Amino acid sequence: MDIAQLIENLLQSLVAGVLTGSTYGLMCVGLTIIFGVMRVINFAQGEFMMLGMYFTYFCVNFLTRQFGLEGIYLPFVVAMLAGPVIYLFGDLLHRGLLNKVSGQQGSKLEAGGHYAQLVLTLGLALLLQNAGLYFFGSTPVSVSTSLSYTAWELGSPEGISVFINQAQSLAAILAVGVVLIFGFLIAKSRLGKSLRAAADNPDAAIYMGIDVERAHRIAFGFGVGITAIGGGLLASYAPFQPYIGTEYVIIMYAGVVLGGLGSIRGAFLGGLSIGILQQVSATLLPNQLQNTVIFVCFLAVILLRPNGFFGKSGRVA
Amino acid sequence: MLKLSNVYAGYGGVDVLHELTVEVQAGEFVAVVGPNGAGKSTLFKTISGLITPSSGSIEFLGQDLLAVSAAKRAHLGIAHVPEGRQVFASMTIYENLEMGAYTRAGQKHWQDNLEKIYNWFPILKERQSQLAGTLSGGQQQMLAIARGLAAHPKILLLDEPSMGLSPAIADEIFERLIDIHKNSDISLMLVEQRVAEALHFASRAYVLEAGRIILSGDQDALRDDDRIRQAYLGM
Repeated sequence: MDIAQLIENLLQSLVAGVLTGSTYGLMCVGLTIIFGVMRVINFAQGEFMMLGMYFTYFCVNFLTRQFGLEGIYLPFVVAMLAGPVIYLFGDLLHRGLLNKVSGQQGSKLEAGGHYAQLVLTLGLALLLQNAGLYFFGSTPVSVSTSLSYTAWELGSPEGISVFINQAQSLAAILAVGVVLIFGFLIAKSRLGKSLRAAADNPDAAIYMGIDVERAHRIAFGFGVGITAIGGGLLASYAPFQPYIGTEYVIIMYAGVVLGGLGSIRGAFLGGLSIGILQQVSATLLPNQLQNTVIFVCFLAVILLRPNGFFGKSGRVA
Repeated sequence: MLKLSNVYAGYGGVDVLHELTVEVQAGEFVAVVGPNGAGKSTLFKTISGLITPSSGSIEFLGQDLLAVSAAKRAHLGIAHVPEGRQVFASMTIYENLEMGAYTRAGQKHWQDNLEKIYNWFPILKERQSQLAGTLSGGQQQMLAIARGLAAHPKILLLDEPSMGLSPAIADEIFERLIDIHKNSDISLMLVEQRVAEALHFASRAYVLEAGRIILSGDQDALRDDDRIRQAYLGM
């Protein structure tokens, strides 16, 4: 492999890394908002991503079949709709289940409810996976449009050319857009500030008149909704099956820890870094080692910078 | 305005407070004094709803407080300035005050209250965009009080505002509380270990020991009481 070829490959994987990493970043933001506000580690986060993917898949098929709606942008619009729909699902799950093992009620349990949370979210993950298997089948499906196979070509006079996938680009732009809007909401709005206050000091938040249980419910809804949007966007260019969540929850955790737990900016940058790392390492190393690289870096971060790279210590949500 | 009658309350089924009857009239400055572990913070947590009493009743402005959830009590006009300040460390001073003004009354009177707060505590205005976690203990205490005032409360519960502060700073805080009491119609309920100061500033006081009120009366009566003089005032 000559040097021009190597540079071309590296640039190509860097571009792919930034594009997929943006979507990973979005999903990491979903995970971190739940951890930041509720202090709950949600092992079922990957399954909410999976639900976002299947929601997009079935909605696109339904709209196409029933109303003859078609178009290259349809999956992206539907992916955005997955957010509010999965938000509502998360709201119900919090009311019925998570509520019982976290927050005020969790603090009465052993280890502040963390054991119960672990078992509950793991169980939820299994339940959703198997429900997915039952209802959706195990055959991988995809929501690809012509956009998924279309790329812009950037060339240089030296003969180096890089392809930029259009579906991935659109997904990345939307992902960044959602992160920016959500970040702004958390930073500036009354609701966002009340979530941060509930995360920072739940007792004091109650003294201020903030309903902390409601804050948790909203954070959980936002968290799973945002990750579902990420799943929907990912579905527009990658095939998936009901077990895909297991693979991605690991990526999400690596990204969130890399960025520093509980920080939105950190989570996004962490997810972005994981995307780049994954793609670039795939160019340089055998394919089988793709995820190994993520974990080697992950362990190195835990060892050297336990607070992550981008999170200010003590800064939550 | 606030009346606790025969309240028993505590943690995990063990009562810390026994047969507690305490009352605060509108506009009063009442102190509850007593040694460490007497149940002073438990008393405040019971009023603000973090602890549910095992028996007894709490009434606020004629309303049964025990029927109101903890988060809603702030909206009725009870502002709790907790022990150890508990400011929102990762948020700015201004955001902390905004959270104080989360109550309906607080939102409505936000501009007025902010002006008053900045008058009482000019340092908070100077540093309004600084993170609360980076403030000194005294400044955090001022912020905690200011945050309580931003709620536009009818009563302010102050849990050991002098704790961990130098005597000079603690005096400054007490002076400010006097200012606040004189220039507003907010009732103050102060819990303190510094009995001399508390008896100096409050018009009436209760002495709490091992979860029971052992003595109560107005300022002068308590300061002249032999037990108080010996146990707390060192005379």
